[in-house]
Amino acid sequence: MTDDAPNPALLPAGLMDLLPPEAEREAALVEAMMEVFAGHGYERVKPPLLEFEDSLLAGSGAAVAEQTFRLMDPVSQRMMGLRADMTPQVARIAATRLGLEARPLRLCYAGQVLRVRGTQLAPERQLPQAGVELIGGEEPEADSEVALVAVEALERVGVTGPSLDVTLPTMALALLDAAGVAPGLRQRLARALDRKDAAAVAALAAEAEALAALPALLEAAGPAEGALAALAAAELPPPARAIADNAAAVIAAIRARAPALRITLDPVEFRGFRYHVGVAFTLYGPGGSGELARGGRYMSLNDEPATGMTLYPDAVLRAAPVAPPRPRLFLPRGADPAAARALRAQGFATVAALAEADTPERLRCTHILRDGRPVPLTREG
Amino acid sequence: MDLPIPNAPAAPPAEAGTLILAVPKGRILSELGPVLAGAGIVPAPDCMDEDSRRLRFETNHPGLDMVRVRPFDVATFVAHGAAQIGVCGADVLMEFDYDQIYAPLDLGIARCRVSVAEPAALAGTDDPSRWSRVTVATKYPNITRRHFAARGVQAEIVSLSGAMELAPALGLSRLIVDLVATGSTLKANGLVEREVIAHVTSRLIVNRTALKTRPEQIGAWIARFRAALASLPGGGRGAGA
Repeated sequence: MTDDAPNPALLPAGLMDLLPPEAEREAALVEAMMEVFAGHGYERVKPPLLEFEDSLLAGSGAAVAEQTFRLMDPVSQRMMGLRADMTPQVARIAATRLGLEARPLRLCYAGQVLRVRGTQLAPERQLPQAGVELIGGEEPEADSEVALVAVEALERVGVTGPSLDVTLPTMALALLDAAGVAPGLRQRLARALDRKDAAAVAALAAEAEALAALPALLEAAGPAEGALAALAAAELPPPARAIADNAAAVIAAIRARAPALRITLDPVEFRGFRYHVGVAFTLYGPGGSGELARGGRYMSLNDEPATGMTLYPDAVLRAAPVAPPRPRLFLPRGADPAAARALRAQGFATVAALAEADTPERLRCTHILRDGRPVPLTREG
Repeated sequence: MDLPIPNAPAAPPAEAGTLILAVPKGRILSELGPVLAGAGIVPAPDCMDEDSRRLRFETNHPGLDMVRVRPFDVATFVAHGAAQIGVCGADVLMEFDYDQIYAPLDLGIARCRVSVAEPAALAGTDDPSRWSRVTVATKYPNITRRHFAARGVQAEIVSLSGAMELAPALGLSRLIVDLVATGSTLKANGLVEREVIAHVTSRLIVNRTALKTRPEQIGAWIARFRAALASLPGGGRGAGA
């Protein structure tokens, strides 16, 4: 038998160590984004990693129930869940401990979440989140505010030119409900819409008169102005018209404050948004950097209207420009502590020699303290 | 909010402008020729030549390159955003169920079916409703597991990437799940088709992020393919057998 001892470096699937300098970059990036949230009046909360599963999975938490690690609390003998998403926790805080605070309530948070399995594309099982929730505001300006705060947070960390995709997860369902289609047809239509199979949607929509608008709405997905025009021109039943009017108002509110932001609108998309009730947002990074944030309107606990955005710092980190690393200043033995303190205040990391063997090269220093001043070290070779 | 839909890793900046169309080698590629021609895409001459060693080919459009990969890999390339557009069989989409892929167009080519087959000698000798588990050789473990689970049967998968038809005769498995076009391979190996799991045609697929961030370009290509299908005999939906 060859029982190889497991390599101590091996971690469980989907978990990783973040090393220098990425660990520091990610932490700095989260704090920079949190600073933007705080600047807009969002107050920070810090929910625990674990809570009872019935509160964790209530409301919007139900969407991540199957992704939640669970364990038994030996003390209370009740089942607990490790958070897979922080939004339900913030919703719980808003509905309970901060239930008496005046609305709208602006809260922000940052932390790590765990999920039972990653996907083939993103195998990570531990992910950072940082986000804002605006609880108790129903106006289109509330949705516009959270989207723009997220855009500003991205800007603060150097990610410029994101693209905001607005979807209306309830629109397709409202149209299908209004048409009163048979369950079989409804299922086939939902499937065709989900794949964006225009030919199939057109063929199926022809079977019910009330669905005449569907093919045009599917076709309309794209830059917001064109899509809004298509929505305005479409003949919609009243519930769908209300959703369209709300989308137009939200986009107008965003436009008013960020005329240069690239906005796309996909009226009949519902993929990936399981608890959203109004507009839903996805922020895509420039180039091919992918999804950096998601959010939108949902019903918080006690049926309170709420809206929010969650940024994914790991994705943002990949999209953000790399800041120059902090310069490392070598302090020879017996260096003046006051000079070192002053230079730390200027942004140097001071690395003190502890033994004779410590050299600036071994300690990866870029500067050395000579006569109380930092002198750059030139790399040889 | 809810969990992120995974991000494709950042594309290298030089690639940002060029769209990549991933096409599968083999049977689908030959049937795809007329559709590409109809869409006004003329790939480099050696692209349709299966013997060519090149994997990436320029086309008559400066902003569009083609890559030729294995059928299963088309979905992987598109899901990760390495290719923005692709052509692959519905069987591959059923097997992987990537949430980063849209399949906006049924090309109607390379018609076939994913089927359960068994040795002709065993057909009709037992009652499947009494099964609690069965061994199946396949390259579609997910489709197979789902199919049998829906009937209350555990499928024990023997994962093979080819020559499934050998498995029952050599005692590897009781059944196979495979792609069947004409059924002649099954027949030649003493197997009979027992049940069709799904009818399959090739789909035009696009990457979700690409469609969201470059809707004009991707939308224009989808429209060209749609127009090409409409102009083909039988609307492109009767082609292939």
